[in-house]
Amino acid sequence: MALNQEFMQRAPQQGNGYQPEQNPSPADWLLAGPQPGVSPAQDRPSAPAPRPPGSGLLSNWKAGALRYGNNGGNVSPPPIAERNTPQPQPAPRPGIDYPGNGLKNTPGPLPLYQQASMPPAMFLSPQQQPVPTSMPVQYPGVAGPYQQPQPGFPMPGPVTVPGQQAWYQPGMPPLMPMPVQPQVGARPGPGFKPQHHKKSRFPVWARVALAVMALLLAGTGGVAGYYYVNLSAPISGIVNQQVPRLRGDDDPNQGRGTGGSILGGGRINILLLGSDTDEKFQGTYLAQTDIVVTIDPATKQVAMLSIPRDFWINVPGSGMHKLDEAYALGGVALSRLTIAQDFGIHINYYAWVGLDGFVKVISTVNGVDVDVLHPITDDNYPDDVGNHTTDIYKYRRLYIAPGPQHLSGQQALQYVRSRHADLVGDFGRSARQQQILTQLKNKLNNPGVIGELPQLAQDLAGYVKTDMQLNQVFDLMRLARNINTSNIQRVTLGPPYSQSGTGPNGQSVVFPNCALVVPVIAKMFGSTANASCNIAANGNTSSLASTQASPGTNALAQTASNGVLQTAGQMVNVSTMSLNGGGSDWLGIHSLLDLLFLVVFESPDAVQA
Amino acid sequence: MKQYLNWRSALLLLLLALSLQSCLGFGGNNGNSNFKTTNTGSGQIGVNQGNQIVFNGKIYFTIGHRLWVLDGTRNLHQLTGGKTAVRDPAISPDGKWIAFDAVSKNSSDLVYISVNGGKMHMLRSGNGSYYYKGQFVHSSSTWNVQPAWSADSSHLLFLSDFEKEDWYSYTGIDAPLLDLQAFSIPLSNPSAVQDVAYAYFGDGGNRDPSYRPGHPDQIIYTHYAYDVTRTQQLVQLFMENPNAIASYPRGHYYPGEPGFDPGVAITPPTIECIESAFSPDGNSIAYIKRIGVDQMGLYVMPTPENITSSPNSSTVAKKALLPYKQSSLIIKGQFISQPFWSPDGKQIAYLSYNNQSFDIWLATVTIDPKTGRYVMKGSPVQLTNGGIDGDSRPVWTA
Repeated sequence: MALNQEFMQRAPQQGNGYQPEQNPSPADWLLAGPQPGVSPAQDRPSAPAPRPPGSGLLSNWKAGALRYGNNGGNVSPPPIAERNTPQPQPAPRPGIDYPGNGLKNTPGPLPLYQQASMPPAMFLSPQQQPVPTSMPVQYPGVAGPYQQPQPGFPMPGPVTVPGQQAWYQPGMPPLMPMPVQPQVGARPGPGFKPQHHKKSRFPVWARVALAVMALLLAGTGGVAGYYYVNLSAPISGIVNQQVPRLRGDDDPNQGRGTGGSILGGGRINILLLGSDTDEKFQGTYLAQTDIVVTIDPATKQVAMLSIPRDFWINVPGSGMHKLDEAYALGGVALSRLTIAQDFGIHINYYAWVGLDGFVKVISTVNGVDVDVLHPITDDNYPDDVGNHTTDIYKYRRLYIAPGPQHLSGQQALQYVRSRHADLVGDFGRSARQQQILTQLKNKLNNPGVIGELPQLAQDLAGYVKTDMQLNQVFDLMRLARNINTSNIQRVTLGPPYSQSGTGPNGQSVVFPNCALVVPVIAKMFGSTANASCNIAANGNTSSLASTQASPGTNALAQTASNGVLQTAGQMVNVSTMSLNGGGSDWLGIHSLLDLLFLVVFESPDAVQA
Repeated sequence: MKQYLNWRSALLLLLLALSLQSCLGFGGNNGNSNFKTTNTGSGQIGVNQGNQIVFNGKIYFTIGHRLWVLDGTRNLHQLTGGKTAVRDPAISPDGKWIAFDAVSKNSSDLVYISVNGGKMHMLRSGNGSYYYKGQFVHSSSTWNVQPAWSADSSHLLFLSDFEKEDWYSYTGIDAPLLDLQAFSIPLSNPSAVQDVAYAYFGDGGNRDPSYRPGHPDQIIYTHYAYDVTRTQQLVQLFMENPNAIASYPRGHYYPGEPGFDPGVAITPPTIECIESAFSPDGNSIAYIKRIGVDQMGLYVMPTPENITSSPNSSTVAKKALLPYKQSSLIIKGQFISQPFWSPDGKQIAYLSYNNQSFDIWLATVTIDPKTGRYVMKGSPVQLTNGGIDGDSRPVWTA
């Protein structure tokens, strides 16, 4: 665990000069949830504000530098370059004397700089030289006894025992340059006070420590490099997935600039699409979740407009369809154009989530352990696993016993999706969703999950796509985590904004009540929408833009302009921003997971669990 | 030249060795050194071999929904395998049979086998299929779960939804009643089903039925319901005469019928109490109480007396709640569940959630002579390590 923590701290250092926190604060995941092993006495979470029964995703079923010379900072050792450069020395003179020996022409004390560059006497030659025991070895610039370079350790000089001589250890590389100064004929005289030669010594223990630290650093760097290389590839397939706009879908981002702060300009509208991606759909997915989130960066006000999937509206170029079918017909591009033309809402960004990604994430962390609140029974739960038929209406039965137990990814999905045995409907489901999210985030917050990051990234790849950059996702999720969700205006265009009916083919549909819908849009989206309700078919099937997006998953991003290295850079930036803010968003995975939860659970409450 | 490793170097190397040890996970000691591990096929389970843990008899439970038995000598054996998913083993009091749920994707069967193993005998089959009823899709498959033996080993309580299509006309609700209700069958004639305790549409149904030892006219179960506003869920323990519905004077009683309900609540509606278990003498009830978010407690209360004969009396209703107030806390934690008694009544086993797994713990209990309430002696001891199924009720036999 120490290695992982070190990794978490070191990673942002690469190239950023970031100073890691000594004690990272608890992740933002657990703002409200219980800590594992802790038994807080808390009341049950109160049910969220009432919302009409949704028709979204989950309700679908018909889911070292070393410092040489620790001298207390009095004098800094000379730079390495200068140490390695032989210093010019005065020409050798015979009979160099020392003060007090009566001889004339003593050269006097050497200049301070040269004194600092002279090693201790024992390093003057490779031969062993006895050093009088009465004279402790000194490092240059050190007024007192020898100080070993490793701080934190007691640093007396080499052990000298009266009567014994301290010997230079042959083969030890000197720290200080060898001065070119012969000692021929030099003899100590009476009153001799030998000049302390600045010998350098690198003791064994320091070398061991240095080697181990270098090894750890190399290993950590290698691990970091591994993660960056291996995670940036799947993440690059998640973010910046641009989808060309169809004619009629004006780009409101023109002039905003790409890659900048998503909250740096005016109001933005983000289209959240969620699809049930289980096997029975065989790649042609509907968008069971259609939510437009509008954010006013200036006021930080957020509003969410949920559009029922069964809205009977005009899908440009295809005639009258349910809203969820727009995605199957033309992917993100057509869903975006449909909302723009039918309701006048201009979409800045999109995020699409496949429900199976949620299941995979839970499976990667080996399921969740929860106290199932009451029995779950259902005779008509969608048969998502092992259903290789084309029958999207195939069912299975469900019985989940109550009480504490382990739930796999599929079981967890069943637990949060099922509505039977729950008369309170959405209230009950919200409580169950909160349970799953809390336990899931407990696991994701475990430092051991670092080892699962590559798998988590793979889980998300293919099931989360957005045209936002990673740092934009980070900014958005950071906003979502910190916002007071009770201040979010949420409108679902169910009754009275719509009424149920039957389509021309006998299918169950929902008809918008335009007279009520338009004012809502105008109020929520302000100037970013030409609030309208143009839901009737215009009969012109050739009204599509020249660029026609292909259906199914291929209708998603056409270009991934982010290279792996570019994504890696963004991961570094996000990690840095996160740690600077006291969070722990490892390489942006946290934010991407939050984006997944936001769409799956159709609420920023999921981000704050 | 003499070389030596000074104490500073030695200290540094020692610290490095310790840090590497922790990094690499070597020498980790989570107290599992006394646990003998066995490969379960889906993982490993450890059984405490320490001398501080003593139990007699046999404990049956499931791992990966395969039936296992652990005896007092700490030997662990697997009893079922293959594709059969097993839950809720129940040993007949005569020691001959094991009844359990055999669960499939869309149904579950009630079966029993000899304690010595062998062929499974079908009691109730849940097999069925989907069909259209008008424009709606229905299923004839059923769930049959949680068997519980009568004291004479002649009858079994169990839960099922096999009557889900039978209540349209009586209730006026145009939907199958999917919530599990309580029934009993004689072992000699599993087809002769008797209604024991009803549920109501969407409430959640019943769980954890069992006979009271020494009182064949009393049973206990967990009942899930909604309050009169139909917005707040109530989870309470109920006691009942298992023959009350069959003996109803009008000859017929249907789910939700006002005015008559054979069940008597023995825990208050404001507290969620689940998973009850009678002591071997039938005089006490161990149960689980949901104290708060991620906080549960194992409690023991005296068994209310003489409440099942007049279930609709307001006086009886008040009387039935009095013993609850004498409950004593045995242990609490994040997830505490599935209490079951030792045959001699001196220990209570339960499941506790530790290290991300549900394992069996043993608590030695005794009655405090001053208060007359159960208290735990010493500290609980962990019996297994590695995780057993939390959704399956274990059982302890002599």
